[in-house]
Amino acid sequence: MMTISWKTRLYIWFRLLLLQASWNFERLQGIGFFYSLLPGLRKLYKDEKLLDVSRKYVGYFNTHVYLAPMVAGAVLKLEEDQASGTADPALEVDDFKEMVAAPYAAIGDALFWGGLRPLAAGITLFFAIKGILWAPLIFILIYNLVPTWFRTIFFVRGYRQGMASVEFIQKHRLPDWAIHTKETAIVILGGLSAFMVFSHLNQQQLPSWLGLLTLVPMVMLGVVARKGLSTLLLVFITVTSIFFIGLFWADMVYLIAS
Amino acid sequence: MAISLAFGALISLICGLDRVAILQIMISRPIVAAPLTALALGEPLIGLQIGVMVEFLWLARLPVGAAVPPDDTQVAIASSVLAIVLGRTLNVSGIELLLLCLLIAIPLGKVGQYFDHYARQYNVRLIKQVDLALDRGSLMGAEFQHLRGLTSFSLASIGTYAIVVLGGLLIVPFLWPLLQQSLSHSSAWIQLALPLVGIAVILGTINVSRAITLFCASFCMSFLLMWLV
Repeated sequence: MMTISWKTRLYIWFRLLLLQASWNFERLQGIGFFYSLLPGLRKLYKDEKLLDVSRKYVGYFNTHVYLAPMVAGAVLKLEEDQASGTADPALEVDDFKEMVAAPYAAIGDALFWGGLRPLAAGITLFFAIKGILWAPLIFILIYNLVPTWFRTIFFVRGYRQGMASVEFIQKHRLPDWAIHTKETAIVILGGLSAFMVFSHLNQQQLPSWLGLLTLVPMVMLGVVARKGLSTLLLVFITVTSIFFIGLFWADMVYLIAS
Repeated sequence: MAISLAFGALISLICGLDRVAILQIMISRPIVAAPLTALALGEPLIGLQIGVMVEFLWLARLPVGAAVPPDDTQVAIASSVLAIVLGRTLNVSGIELLLLCLLIAIPLGKVGQYFDHYARQYNVRLIKQVDLALDRGSLMGAEFQHLRGLTSFSLASIGTYAIVVLGGLLIVPFLWPLLQQSLSHSSAWIQLALPLVGIAVILGTINVSRAITLFCASFCMSFLLMWLV
């Protein structure tokens, strides 16, 4: 039976770090997926058969970049079975790839981009606001812990279990984790906002209770953002308003003093 | 000045590639990229302040599917470079100049979105080259085409950085004498408002039921605790 050595698999894992190097609007990660798998395919097929299999892989492919190793691992296993003639005839490798890519992308987007990134940023900003210069390192450490685990363990699992790796994802209830991470991120961001406002009012020697009023414009901004108003416009409106209020306030203070 | 700009360009290239094309270990996030740039230029605190203000602004815009979010990486790097270089040139320190550089960089950074879009569009041409290479039986040729994609992403990053920095170098010295005094009345409040606007946008767009309730509860609880302690 043909197998792919651990050295080749490690090489493929490293190549997956370049998955999106040729990202494009037509086939998205397609070429990158082919590029990553090629060392494995070279071990399994030769000559014309290798070219035929390669053509199959340069087509459309898109999933979340941190879950792509799991798809790659499983696909390698299936290709191995295919090459040695022990594959399950019920499902083609191509069908499997298409079947899992979109759900994995949705899970990854919600978990990593929607949940983990704001959570890690929220925690880091507590340190950054304090002026701690190694705050960026904290961000990199907190954030990369989970994706590195996914990229490594899920790749190994994908290769070990092949098609059954889908059950591994199901068992871990990732969509539920995505929701929990987002909820935690919101709680952290609430605490962070309170911390920023409280510190600022103290610096300005203003009464602390005023800080509770911050919730009103924040919720309003959140509501208009939900309605589709761009961040750029919101920044422009907020900054311009503060700028003119600042000028008006300075004039008032000057008039009262004189 | 030239050395500082070149250092900025190098960091913009590395961080720009991390954004989409390679690794994705998040050195491209403003909270990392801005302090890294400022550290290379010898004033890390400026980068940290910029990172705090930019980090949340577009965090809610997820790079989902074919969506291209605004290039906050280049905004953070370019505004750090601008604040440090212009601070030395104009012999100014303080949050006002930093804010002006950032407020000029934010709209200019919109260009990055178009460059990024164009890079991805340009990479469509590689597909044909890959297909041709496979027809010729050249697997190495096909692999090479994939790596060529890095060039378009590199150019998009450097292009955005160059436009924001050049735009800033032209606009900021002109606006600075006019706005210096006026900005001093509101700079501290704007510095507070920018991350809060970003958090509000996340709050509005995050797909979680009871997001506002959770946020308000956490805000009030933390605030009251700090008040009491």
